[in-house]
Amino acid sequence: MSNFINQILQSEKTLAFPIMTHPGIEALGKTVREAVSDGEIHYQAIKYISEHFDTIACTSIMDLTVEAEAFGAIINLPEHEVPSVTGRLVNDLKSVGSLEVPTLDKGRIPQYLLANKLAAENIRSKPVFSGCIGPFSLAGRLYDMSEILMDIYIEPDVVNQLLEKCTEFLVNYCRALKATGTTGVIIAEPAAGLLSDDDCMMYSTVFVKQIVDAVQDDNFTVILHNCGNTGHCTNAMIASGARALHFGNAINMEDVLKQCPENVVVIGNLNPVGVFKQGTESSVRKATQKLMTETAGYKNFVISSGCDLPPFVPEENIRVFLETVKSNNV
Amino acid sequence: MSSELLTKLSECVEFGKINLASPYPPQMKGLPGADEITKEALESGVTPGEILNDALISAMNKVGQKFSENKIFVPQMLLSAKAMGASMIHLKPFFANGSVQRKGVFILGTVFGDLHDIGKNLFGMMVEGAGWEVIDLGIDVKIEKFVEAVKQNPTAVVGISALLTTTMVNMKPVIEAIKAISPDTKVIVGGAPLSSDFAAQIGADGYGKNPQEGIVWLDKLTA
Ligand code: B12
Repeated sequence: MSNFINQILQSEKTLAFPIMTHPGIEALGKTVREAVSDGEIHYQAIKYISEHFDTIACTSIMDLTVEAEAFGAIINLPEHEVPSVTGRLVNDLKSVGSLEVPTLDKGRIPQYLLANKLAAENIRSKPVFSGCIGPFSLAGRLYDMSEILMDIYIEPDVVNQLLEKCTEFLVNYCRALKATGTTGVIIAEPAAGLLSDDDCMMYSTVFVKQIVDAVQDDNFTVILHNCGNTGHCTNAMIASGARALHFGNAINMEDVLKQCPENVVVIGNLNPVGVFKQGTESSVRKATQKLMTETAGYKNFVISSGCDLPPFVPEENIRVFLETVKSNNV
Repeated sequence: MSSELLTKLSECVEFGKINLASPYPPQMKGLPGADEITKEALESGVTPGEILNDALISAMNKVGQKFSENKIFVPQMLLSAKAMGASMIHLKPFFANGSVQRKGVFILGTVFGDLHDIGKNLFGMMVEGAGWEVIDLGIDVKIEKFVEAVKQNPTAVVGISALLTTTMVNMKPVIEAIKAISPDTKVIVGGAPLSSDFAAQIGADGYGKNPQEGIVWLDKLTA
């Protein structure tokens, strides 16, 4: 069992692990565009978070475009918002067949590896988690999300071939992330939440598991994040073998905790926008207390935001969240 | 005969059987789909109106119901909408020559700043299946683009989708700009974070929690 997982399972307290980097980017006076393009700035933002917030771990930026960009997708990089993919890169057997699995020197991948390396080397106070997109969500970004949802039934061979290429790349990328010395990786697979449990198993879990098998060990933990799951595909998430699962705000945490084995760490799920970004001190406190009450007694629970905190969340709300966790623990 | 074809067509749409070539659903593999059956129905004298009302719309209602009960998921619903689209292609000439009336023109887009389009696409396909002509403006649609589309289609109804709490507020300036040039244009909004209260606050005329609610609202406009 990994140290990170052990530390959680043995803790008497509820630990806090919000997924965030934007507060760090903003505190440094940098733009999102700068942080997602420059590994040094990215690292500084992670470092800021590690030093200024009492959390059990910190994360790199949840950027769901770096991998698609490496494959050749066109990326829109707004100054103050998270980047996005524009258009469709592949659409049939031929284009999927000729799609090359990119090497790790493409697009912004080297900058992401740099940020992870600097963070792992220099942040000593707490674990640093890398991040990447999940295979089905990546395939959806390259193929168009609505189209892939239909073609899992109409063109399953094309979709599987694309998923294999995405997975091959993600295995390589995760190996490189692991080599930077981080504690683990958060694999973000939101689009798989649109599938039934069976389909999620076939078109996401099978491929996520290949990544898990390739990189997870006592020193490197995989956290599988799926904020699209509303409760219907938790079994498929568990079957990935990831030692920790991260859930979005659309799910009931108590139900999830009942469903998940005790040795799987379950992380979630305060609304990143409704609670963190738009909430007031008192509503943040209330929501945090409520979730802690509902999840009390589950030693495998870690309290978190349901997804990455978006840009411009009031720092005060994050502090109130962390203070509430602390004061509820005594 | 005709009722048998309508039943078959209805099943194709309910279970997402697009055409003969489509392997989905497995139990209908190798059988004709919505595409072929619609052709056959029209050739054997079934009217476009019957096809629309007695097969397509009723089937989509069932699909919407199953979706809301978590019995099917987004892929199945998209396939049903696609099967309906395969049938609609054959009805287009009748809409064009006026022998069947379209209910109206519906302009649809995801509001600027927002790139989520699965729900919008689904709603668009279902509105089309319900007998409307749909103009899909895509994602991240700026105010000017909505306004331009309304100028070109002054009688159209407008639908706006948003999936982010940070972009749903962008719907208000879109609605204001549309109403400024065309006060009578009706606007309906939808998307997961919205509510009917929010829709009313930003000056929308309608709100649909799901496609069926949206279509019921649209149909009331034409009643
Ligand atoms: C798939 C998905 C994505 C895909 C989108 C792919 C695509 N082409 O659409 C990707 C991975 C690209 C993505 C990106 C992001 N996402 Co996203 N995403 C989702 C997810 C998992 C599902 C959304 C979806 O398609 N649902 C299925 C459809 C069918 O449902 P729907 O859209 O609600 O539509 C239904 C109804 O609302 C209605 N409807 C919809 N539109 C309309 C319009 C009218 C007129 C009417 C009448 C009805 C109607 O009909 C539909 C059928 O019932 C949700 C989580 C969730 N569980 O909802 C997060 C979610 C929406 N995303 C979220 C976030 C934060 C993001 C990002 C900012 C993440 C990031 N850090 O990069 C980016 C945003 C980029 C941008 N600027 O838009 C948050 C939003 C939080 C908030 N409250 O604001 C969510 C809720 C996840 C979470 N729990 O945090 N996402």
